[in-house]
Amino acid sequence: MSHPLSRRTLLLGAAGLAGLTACGSSTDKTSSGGKTELVYRLWDEQQEVGYKAVFAAFTAENPDITVRMEVLPWDQYWTKLTTELAGGKAPDVFWLTVENFPDLAGKGVLAPLDDVIARAGIKLDSYHPNVVQSYKFEDKQLGLPKDLGVVGLLYNKSLVAKAGITMPSELTWAPDGSGNFLEIARKLTAGDKQWGFCSWNHSQTQWLNWIASNGGRAMDKPYGTFDFAGPKSVEALQWARDLIFKWRVSPDGTRTNPPTGQATEMFYRGEVAMFPANNALLPFALPEVKFPIGVAALPAGPSGRTVVINGLAEVMFARTKHPEEAGKLIAFLGSEKAQKLMGDAGYVIPALNDAGAGYAAYWKQKGIDVQPFIDSAAGSTVNMPIAEGWTAKVAEINKAMNDVYLDKTSVSGIAGTLDKIGNER
Amino acid sequence: MLRPAPRRTRRVQRRQQTLAGYALLAPSMIGVLGFLLAPVLIVIVLSLFDWKLLSTPEFIGLANYRELLNDDDVWHSFLVTLYYVLICVPGTTILSLLLALLVNRKLRGMKYFRALLVIPWMATPVAMGLVWTWIFDPGRGALNQFLGLFGLDGPAWLSSPLLAMPSVAAVHIWQFAGYNMLFFLAGLQNIPASLREASSLDGASPVAHFFAVTLPLLRPTMLFVLITNVIGSFQAFDTIFVMTEGGPGDSTEVATYLIYDEAFRKFDFGYASTISVLLFAVILVVTISQFVYFERRTTYDFS
Repeated sequence: MSHPLSRRTLLLGAAGLAGLTACGSSTDKTSSGGKTELVYRLWDEQQEVGYKAVFAAFTAENPDITVRMEVLPWDQYWTKLTTELAGGKAPDVFWLTVENFPDLAGKGVLAPLDDVIARAGIKLDSYHPNVVQSYKFEDKQLGLPKDLGVVGLLYNKSLVAKAGITMPSELTWAPDGSGNFLEIARKLTAGDKQWGFCSWNHSQTQWLNWIASNGGRAMDKPYGTFDFAGPKSVEALQWARDLIFKWRVSPDGTRTNPPTGQATEMFYRGEVAMFPANNALLPFALPEVKFPIGVAALPAGPSGRTVVINGLAEVMFARTKHPEEAGKLIAFLGSEKAQKLMGDAGYVIPALNDAGAGYAAYWKQKGIDVQPFIDSAAGSTVNMPIAEGWTAKVAEINKAMNDVYLDKTSVSGIAGTLDKIGNER
Repeated sequence: MLRPAPRRTRRVQRRQQTLAGYALLAPSMIGVLGFLLAPVLIVIVLSLFDWKLLSTPEFIGLANYRELLNDDDVWHSFLVTLYYVLICVPGTTILSLLLALLVNRKLRGMKYFRALLVIPWMATPVAMGLVWTWIFDPGRGALNQFLGLFGLDGPAWLSSPLLAMPSVAAVHIWQFAGYNMLFFLAGLQNIPASLREASSLDGASPVAHFFAVTLPLLRPTMLFVLITNVIGSFQAFDTIFVMTEGGPGDSTEVATYLIYDEAFRKFDFGYASTISVLLFAVILVVTISQFVYFERRTTYDFS
């Protein structure tokens, strides 16, 4: 920072100015002539396009309310949101994930939606139960289910065809290396330039699924106790490591560990043949790849197939200046009309049951059969774990998990560390 | 007609001048007070609170400081910072001095060359961090492609716990060497040419001249360069934030990054403030000792 003082002062000044203008823009957007503008915050610039149609439909039904979208990159999203919530000036309606729910739920910043739901005649049991449950806090519904992020296995159809493989409809794995998944991964591995699979440190799409389908669990119940050191969990984590160092079908952690790793990019570039992903990755992946993408369900383990669901919810700021209008917006976003608009345009699998047909149709027309995602969501699913003070802990856990993908310390030792971080009060 | 006493006039004048002086200072004083002093005081106060941003701040006295003493992550981050400083400060200083000696010649086009060397400093650190991330990319980065020309298989620079820190530090050195060169250049041009003639008459070789004459006379510049560099390296954040986010593992997690992590990822503002106070204290002590050390050895008089 060389001449640190001057540059620092400048930066601070700039930040101050930015802060001032930010305060000016995202607050008091109010009624001029009986009209209300609501602020809607999201992080996905693909879905932003889809929401334009949704909000146009909303304003058509509610001519006095318009919605302005604010798209922020993922990291900034949480930083800005949390500081704004603390400052008492936040967007009226915004997205929330299961993982970030615990840190906001007990703090009185999310408006209970039970009245909104009752008034709009919404039946919560018509949404995926996993997502409904995830956003319940002390018997109050704080989030209305938006979509399902389901994990499936994307694969590079060109590489699969080149290896002369027909993807079986059912893939299986076991900690000892039996099952057809490893067999296929080995056939798809060529030297150290092409890997059949990518075993990397990503909770949602990787190790949580291995643990669950091996019959273990990362955590016994929401806000419960972590059990990474349980025998089934350790076996699953060892398997994640074995894929790299024993079976050699995956690049190792030096190339894939977050935050510097490039696992997803390696799949895009065709260096990795099979890559587990949330279905929400598809709109991002499609423009990046030069090969046709196939979708399979995640391999079933000794305990069958269990996949992680990361369903998002729409939540309302408790101190919004326009509770009534924001409530209307939330109810509309939960409606079949809105959920189908987003599903039919291929952005998300709606959380509303039986609204996913349009999603499948959209991707079929793009040449991708997404049925395995939808089937997996209907099968056995597991949530991302949550605990008190979770954002702090999850960062530590994800960091410690990096070691599984390097061949240095023992997996059981790492699992012990993970439990210690997770169960700390 | 009576004239006012001359002394009074002078006093009024002086007071007016003082007021005018303060008025002229006011804009920058507002900056210093509002954007530097006030935040420092606020941080010190916050360090005595348990404040998780969304919770109500609660006064807990020195509890954060007690936690700090037992927090291995904090001590680790200060060691990492020290490592960073120990690479960056000598690296930047030596390289910039060498560059200054190199461009302190009268050659055609030299001024363009000098300007070229300062460009890295003018560029935004975040943008440069991104560019270097691409250069360091293990598969397709320019650096490993270049090494590949010689049949060498370049490592994963930024994702190896061993190499990440030197790589990030190298970018820091690259970024600030040209800028610090300017100070050394100014320092070199302040040294009277007669001294060079005198020492060569005494039979001093260029190397001996450099160590016996040039270097001692560069002390004021050296003091400035070292102090600003030490402070700058202690506070380094942006390139690390962009290039490694403190990783892999915690191998590049310098103190500023840890503070950012505690404050803006974990939203533990009280504890983040405590670490900031510690960093502030460390920099203060280091800077004062540098001043004291150089004070005794510096001459500002070249005649």
